[in-house]
Amino acid sequence: MDFSFFGELLEEEREITPEVTEGYRNLWVAAEAADGTLPPSTLEAIGQAREIANQIGVYVWASLLGDGVEPLAQQLIAYGADRVLVADSPSLAEYQPEVYVKILADLVGQHRPEMLLMPATSLGNDLAPRLAQRLNTGLISHCLKLTLDMSERLLLGTCPALGGEVYHTFACPQARPQMATLEPGYFRIPSADPYRSGEVKRVDLDLGGVTGRLSWLEREASVELPPVPLSRAKIVVSAGRGMGDAEGFALVQRLAEVLGAALVGSRGAFDEGWIPEDRIVGVGGQFIAPDLYIACGLSGDIYHYFGVQSARCIVAINPDENAPIMKVAHMAVVGDARQVIPAMLNALGR
Amino acid sequence: MRMVIPIKQILDPAGITVRRDKERIFINREEYIIDPGSKAALEAALRLKEERDQAETIAISLGPARTDDALREALAMGCDAAYLLSDPAFEEADLSVATLILAAAVRKLGGADLILVGRQSGDTGAGQIGPRLAEALGYAQVTDVYALAVENGAARTTRRWGKGYATVQVQLPAVVTVAPEAFPPRYPHGARIMNAYREWNVPVWGCADLNLEPSSLTPLLTFRGESFPPPLEPERFRGNPTTVAQEVITALTLHKLINPGGGSHGL
Repeated sequence: MDFSFFGELLEEEREITPEVTEGYRNLWVAAEAADGTLPPSTLEAIGQAREIANQIGVYVWASLLGDGVEPLAQQLIAYGADRVLVADSPSLAEYQPEVYVKILADLVGQHRPEMLLMPATSLGNDLAPRLAQRLNTGLISHCLKLTLDMSERLLLGTCPALGGEVYHTFACPQARPQMATLEPGYFRIPSADPYRSGEVKRVDLDLGGVTGRLSWLEREASVELPPVPLSRAKIVVSAGRGMGDAEGFALVQRLAEVLGAALVGSRGAFDEGWIPEDRIVGVGGQFIAPDLYIACGLSGDIYHYFGVQSARCIVAINPDENAPIMKVAHMAVVGDARQVIPAMLNALGR
Repeated sequence: MRMVIPIKQILDPAGITVRRDKERIFINREEYIIDPGSKAALEAALRLKEERDQAETIAISLGPARTDDALREALAMGCDAAYLLSDPAFEEADLSVATLILAAAVRKLGGADLILVGRQSGDTGAGQIGPRLAEALGYAQVTDVYALAVENGAARTTRRWGKGYATVQVQLPAVVTVAPEAFPPRYPHGARIMNAYREWNVPVWGCADLNLEPSSLTPLLTFRGESFPPPLEPERFRGNPTTVAQEVITALTLHKLINPGGGSHGL
C-alpha cells in the first residue's frame, strides 16, 4: 500500500508554526464609548466574546479608550468582561488613528491576547485594519457570524461578499492575535449582571511622541449627495395613487431622501403630476433592478411588476391585502402608507 | 501634488446571478469592470487635479494581465500614468500581502501626497486596504469620506461618523477612502479612449521591480468556504403602524438592504 499521503498529512500538521501562536491567551474586545455610554455594538461584541471565551476556557478582557470613560468600565464587567484596561485621558477625547493604534498595539504586545474583537462601527472600520497592519496579523472584517474550529483553536469569521449575496468564511492560522470586526446588529446583546465581579486597571499612557494628525472641526456636518441615476440606484422608493394627495407624496419623498434612494412612481403618480414621465416604472416606462424596491400606496398591476421584477427585495405598503403587488412582495406591509411611512421615518431616527 | 489611486478590477456584478435556493453562483457573462469604489476614488482625484495647476494622478492596480484594461480606462478618464503590479508571486495575495505590494509601488513612485481608494470594494468588500496602506507607509488616514478639498498641505474632509457626518482636517501625506455614492464617476473621454490603447504605455512591475522577496508574500488569512444567506421568504406585516414600521426597518437592516446605523455598507 502507498502510505505517502501520511507524509503529506504530517507536512500539513507542521504548517502551523507553534512559536507564532504560543503564549497568546485570552480574548479581547476593543470597547468603544460614545457620548458617555457603551453603544449596543460594543455590548454585542462583549457578549460574543463571552460566549467564545466560555468555549475555550479563557478570560475576556476589554480595552476602553477615551476621555472620562472610566465609570463605564464597571458596566463592561456587568456585561461579561473579566478585566478592563482603561486609558482615560483628555488627550484621547478625539479619535486619532495613530494614537489609538499605538496604545492598543502596546497593550497587545504586553498582554498577548489570542483573539481581538472590535465592533464594525465608523471607528472600528477605521482603526481595526490599521491595527492589524501594525501587528502584522490578519483581520476578518464585517463578520456576521463567529464560530470556532476547536481542533486548532481558530476563530472562523463569516462575512458578506458580493453585496451580501454570498458569505465567505476566513481563518487566520498563522498570526496572532486573530482579529475580527463584528457587524452591528448581528449579535445578541447580553443581559447585564450588576453583581459580576472583575478587575479594572488603569493603563499608564506612554505615547512615545506619537501625535494625531487629524483635527476634528465639526461634529454635525451635513452632506449634499448628488442625485443617483435610476439605473444605478441600490434603493428605489416608489409612490402610487394610494398616497392620496401632494402631502402624502411628500412623505414618500422624505423616505427616499432619508434612505438615499431614487424616487419613482406608477403611471397614476405621473397622472397626478408628482413625478416626471421618465420616472414611471413598468411596461412603457423604466425597467429597474435595485436591491430594494419600496412600493408605497400602489396596487402594482402586472405591467408595473414587469418593470421591477428583477429587484432583489420588494417591500409593498398597501391597505388592501389582496392587491397584486402584495402577492409578489417579499415583505408585504398591510396598512395605510400615510401612517406607516412616518412611523418608518421615526424608526430610522429622523 | 501627487495623487496615487490604487484601483481594483472586479467581475461585473450585472453578469452574475446568485441563486440562494440552489446555493450556487452563476457567472453568465465574464466581464470585468473597475470597482465602483475605485471609480469614485479616481473621480475624487480627477476633481482635485482640475482645481489646481500642478497635480498628477497615477493609477496603480494589482492583478493579472487582464487588469491592464482597468488601468487604460483610468487613463481614458484622465489619469496621467498607470502601472500594473503583476507577478506570478502576487496571485495568492490577501489583504496584508496586497498592502505590501501597493506600498512598495507607492515608494517606487517616490511617495504620494494623497492616496485615494474606495471605502469598500463591490466584491469582497473588506474595506481594509486604505487604513492598512496608511499604516504601511506611515501616512495619516481618513475613511468613508463624502466631500474632499485640499489646501495648504492639508485635506479638509467630510466623513461619515456614526449616524451623521463630521468635518475632519488631515495633514498630508494621507490616505483617504471615499464613499462611492458621493463621487459619481465621469465617463472616459472619447479621444482619450483611443489614446489609452494607441499611444500610452502601462508598465508592468513585478517582484524584481518592487524589490519584494516572493517568500515574504505569504497570505495570513485562509479561505474556509462559502455559504449563502437564506432566501428571502415572503413575509406579511400586520398591526399598528408603529410596530409594523419598526419590524420592517429591523428586517431590512438584518438583510443588509438599508443601513440606518451608519458605518459600512456595500455598494
